[in-house]
Amino acid sequence: MKAGDLLTISPLIALTLTPVVVMLFAAFRRSHGLALGLTLGGLAVTFGTLFVSASRTARVVTPLVTMDAYALFFIGLLTVATALVAVLSWSYLGRLRVRPEEYYVLLLTATLGGAALVAATHFASFFLGLEILSVSLYALIVYPVHRADAVEAAVKYLVLAGATSAFLVFGMALVYAEAGTMSAAGVAKLVAGGLGSQQVVVTVGIVMILVGVGFKLAVVPFHMWTPDVYEGAPAPVTAYVATVSKGAVFALLLRFLLPVSSDQSSTLFLALAAVAVASMVAGNLLALRQDNVKRILAYSSIAHLGYLLVAFLASGERAGVAAGFYLVAYFATTLAAFGVITVLSTGDRDADQLSDYRGLGARRPVLAAVFAVALFSLAGMPLTMGFIGKFVIVTAGAGSALWALVIVLVLTSAIGLYYYTRLIVVMYVRRPEELELAGAGPAARVAAAGGAAGVVVLAALTAFLLVFGVYPSPLLRLVEHAVSTLPWP
Amino acid sequence: MLGLLWLIPALPAAGFLALVLLNRRLDRTAAAWIGAGSVGLSALVALLVCGSFIVSPPAGDAYHQVLWTWMDVAGFAPNIGFYLDAVSVLWVLVITFVGFLIHLYSTEHMEHDEGFTRFFMYLNLFVASMLVLVLADNLLLLYLGWEGVGLCSYLLISFWQKDPQNVYCGRKAFIVTRVGDTALIAGLFLLFTQVHTLEIQPMLAAAQESFVPGSAVAVAAALLILGGAIGKSAQVPLQTWLPDAMAGPSPVSALIHAATMVTAGVYLIARTNVLFTLAPDARLIVAIVGTVTLLLAGFSALVQHDLKRALAYSTISQIGYMFLALGVSGWEAGVFHFMTHAFFKALLFLAAGVIIEALADEHDIFKMGGLRRELPAVFWTFTIGAAALAALPFVTDGFYSKDLIIATSLGSVDGNLWFYAGAIVGAFVTTLYSFRLVWLVFFGERHTEVSRRPRRRQLVPLWILAVLSVVSGLIWMPPWLAGFHPFETFLDTALPPIEFTGEYAHFAESALGALVTISVVVVGIGIAWLLWMPWRRGTHAFSESPAVRPLAAYWLGGWGFDWVYERVFVIPVKWFARVARNDLVDHVVDGIAWLNVAAWRTLSAGQTGRLRAYVAVAGFGIALVLAVVVLR
Amino acid sequence: MASVSLDHALVLAAILFAIGFAGLLTRRNLIVVLACIEIMLNAGGLAFVAAGARWGQADGQVMFLFVLAMAAAEVAVGLAIAIRFRQSLKSLDVDDADEMKG
Repeated sequence: MKAGDLLTISPLIALTLTPVVVMLFAAFRRSHGLALGLTLGGLAVTFGTLFVSASRTARVVTPLVTMDAYALFFIGLLTVATALVAVLSWSYLGRLRVRPEEYYVLLLTATLGGAALVAATHFASFFLGLEILSVSLYALIVYPVHRADAVEAAVKYLVLAGATSAFLVFGMALVYAEAGTMSAAGVAKLVAGGLGSQQVVVTVGIVMILVGVGFKLAVVPFHMWTPDVYEGAPAPVTAYVATVSKGAVFALLLRFLLPVSSDQSSTLFLALAAVAVASMVAGNLLALRQDNVKRILAYSSIAHLGYLLVAFLASGERAGVAAGFYLVAYFATTLAAFGVITVLSTGDRDADQLSDYRGLGARRPVLAAVFAVALFSLAGMPLTMGFIGKFVIVTAGAGSALWALVIVLVLTSAIGLYYYTRLIVVMYVRRPEELELAGAGPAARVAAAGGAAGVVVLAALTAFLLVFGVYPSPLLRLVEHAVSTLPWP
Repeated sequence: MLGLLWLIPALPAAGFLALVLLNRRLDRTAAAWIGAGSVGLSALVALLVCGSFIVSPPAGDAYHQVLWTWMDVAGFAPNIGFYLDAVSVLWVLVITFVGFLIHLYSTEHMEHDEGFTRFFMYLNLFVASMLVLVLADNLLLLYLGWEGVGLCSYLLISFWQKDPQNVYCGRKAFIVTRVGDTALIAGLFLLFTQVHTLEIQPMLAAAQESFVPGSAVAVAAALLILGGAIGKSAQVPLQTWLPDAMAGPSPVSALIHAATMVTAGVYLIARTNVLFTLAPDARLIVAIVGTVTLLLAGFSALVQHDLKRALAYSTISQIGYMFLALGVSGWEAGVFHFMTHAFFKALLFLAAGVIIEALADEHDIFKMGGLRRELPAVFWTFTIGAAALAALPFVTDGFYSKDLIIATSLGSVDGNLWFYAGAIVGAFVTTLYSFRLVWLVFFGERHTEVSRRPRRRQLVPLWILAVLSVVSGLIWMPPWLAGFHPFETFLDTALPPIEFTGEYAHFAESALGALVTISVVVVGIGIAWLLWMPWRRGTHAFSESPAVRPLAAYWLGGWGFDWVYERVFVIPVKWFARVARNDLVDHVVDGIAWLNVAAWRTLSAGQTGRLRAYVAVAGFGIALVLAVVVLR
Repeated sequence: MASVSLDHALVLAAILFAIGFAGLLTRRNLIVVLACIEIMLNAGGLAFVAAGARWGQADGQVMFLFVLAMAAAEVAVGLAIAIRFRQSLKSLDVDDADEMKG
């Protein structure tokens, strides 16, 4: 590894050094503000190093990692998302009776894991990245240790993540046994050769790898942890799990399993299609009459990953652009939605009951507007980014003749409209009789004011959603550039 | 100057945003300034832009301004762009100017309403959407405006939400127009698959070249667009929502359900006239729909008790006239009548609002009467409006436009005696019901005392609209009069001129033909006077008599359309229904909802909260996939 | 020493994996569950070693080291969570953690 390579992987180095720095400072002087400041500074430095890395010509640094435009784009996305989560966590942690400094360390290490994932081109970096991300999340989910919900959520996540990691390891071993190499390119060659009946071992191996991936993505049938963990974990951590964790793994999926998606006749393709359909259907149906806002968003995220899988299956560069754009829209929307929950939460419990949102339109109009825009974007209303995202996915799917998947996508989106609109109605409707329909009880006391920094972040996210819903071209160009470096068939 | 085109829809949109963001912090005055001011500014800009357009027309008699490309996906790249030609100039001027007058009126009329700011928020959004609709250079953007006005119509009809009846009326409006909207979307899809673009001008040019006149494609596309137009413009058979839409405040009825939104259908057909020229069968249907509607609604208006409902049926009827004109290739005549109608109908609705408010929310005309001396300004302006509606010869704009339509219905290349007969009878009935309102409301003995008088901001718009209702007809005088027709010349730059080449063209165009119209109107006024003035009691007794009563009731209920819809759709599920009106459609929808909820219950029961169950489900899924993969 | 064929090693690894998974499904004590996860991870590691031997590369064994290290980290955090679990629910029975459902 040459000296120049260090510059190429400088974003990863920056992401490694930052938690160390934060940790050392916390050892000597405990200060919430200092920790947040160092975190944001480190993330800013990381973002800056992206451009340093972009200027380097050598991309492949050891067989483990490739810092191409794709990786840089996603690391940028993850970095920004983490920074937003950190800012949202600021006032939340202040209300929670815990020591906040370690939280930021864990957040940063999780991001490091995610960054390693998106740049990974080898099983080793795949595994390590995934595990760093996972273990950091175990600790983050259980961070408010005095809350029974958090502990329960952490246990469920721990056991399921551990089990699926084991599947992942075993699957990787099987593929390695047949391929003789652990690099993504080698695996691609093997798969491209056709997964015939002779290659049972490889297929089984890939299925088991998909188990590990599928758990993180929370698709059916590995989705059952999602509502419980989303509900039990602290709201900003939920935001992180919903966005960074899923996004990083999806980016890796696109890179590693590209050849799987291009062969429409293979059984694996069928299996993934079934998973996509099941996720879209189950995700949207399960949210229908939920009264817990976090659970609604959890189930909706299952559905959205189903939509993303349709983009994945569509294959081709256009589909890659669709997936990338949809991910960005999904990140912005989810962060906005969970951000609202975070800002409204008190130290005792998160603002996740439907009744907490009753009349929010009158009590805190800005937050209600943010939430409404986020929900509209999730539903795919025109003028929001969500609409453009769904539109490009449908176009990609239609272009690859995935008619059944596209039809399911459209139909289940219609179901989704119900529960998103229900939330909006609860926020804006003031009459008790109409509220019986919406299923909300008397309003609980949630944070009546405060969280200024969070509100600023949320306003920025809302503007982002609306601006790019009406003028998406620059972002589409960026995603196209990022995705073009993948070896499309 | 033309470059300011984008400001015209942008200003009301900005007003809307400002009102949304600053909602809590605004007092009434500020909200009124923002709400009415944004539309006023827009009217000013419109005046400048359109003035510049008229005085020095750009090349090709059209101005195209593309702001940006909304998205560029797989070769589908709709723009956010605006297109200005004679037709859109007309609509823009009417929308902004009449819109501003109505906003001004509303600042006084809605003064004591607790939803004052919310009202202007919705109204601004409406004006912005309507302007986007008429200025859009591609059908997708037009559809965005189309949906926007539909949404605002719903919000404003059900503005006084506390009464569920109002909400029901809003919902009914939304759902009935939805039927039309679905047809429109299907039409857009069809057009896109045929010509691969949704931009209006290129699409029309491509259609002109590639569609065979009279071919199935052309007819289908035209009919689907007609479907959309019928819904939005409340023509038969989708007219049932408009009378119920009167549940909204009077300014709403004036702006949305008289002057602008309901004319969106007329605009759409005028815009896509090339398609209709290529499909004579579709044109015929347009004319038939127009004629049937104008007669049906006219007769219904004749027996209404509620002042606003009478005006609503009148609106349906007058738009029927516009459709008739469009259907016989009298594009310019239809558009002319749109303009005159916008003025006098808005005037009538605003005046009705003043009357209703003055009599402490009394809507029944039989409980009015004798208001001539109490509300003189309202009397004169209302009468001018009614006269325009009735097409009082020479001194009202309604005469010029309606006479033109009547002449076109006979003399145009597509005209025939049936349409002519319908138009003439319709004119007679129109005169009857318009002056019935005048006599019953303003003359005779007073049944309700005036408790609130109108103030300046309500009266000024009335006077302005009254003046417009008199003079605006003079810009297109028939050839046998003075032949002063700059308006026709102006419209010729964007629309095909009316071809008086039918059998009776010569008669239709001549002064003799106009004499028929004039005499019908004058006779109508006379008969109306007789029926509702000296013989008032006799008329009332007559309409109550057992022979006539069912007929009157039938007309009152809008020729029983609602009655039929209810019977045909309700009877199969009547034993099921608890709500007043149920549809078969409701049943299907409920079934879908039930299915979804049942599925939810099943799946939700699966989320037991037990970790081992989660592992088991995952394991089961894995086993299933592995089995399939290995065995295949 | 006679070399072990890849297939045999993989079968052994698979059996171990299945045992671990079965334990995961049936056992209710959280500590035992964590142990079962360990068994599954180590089974995967064994598979890696076998695969590396088949190809004559050291990569398999390196991966096994990674797996081991990661498993240790996971267990460390996992046991801390288990302690909290015991404090919160007063038992180590996994089935007792079903407050959140639906």
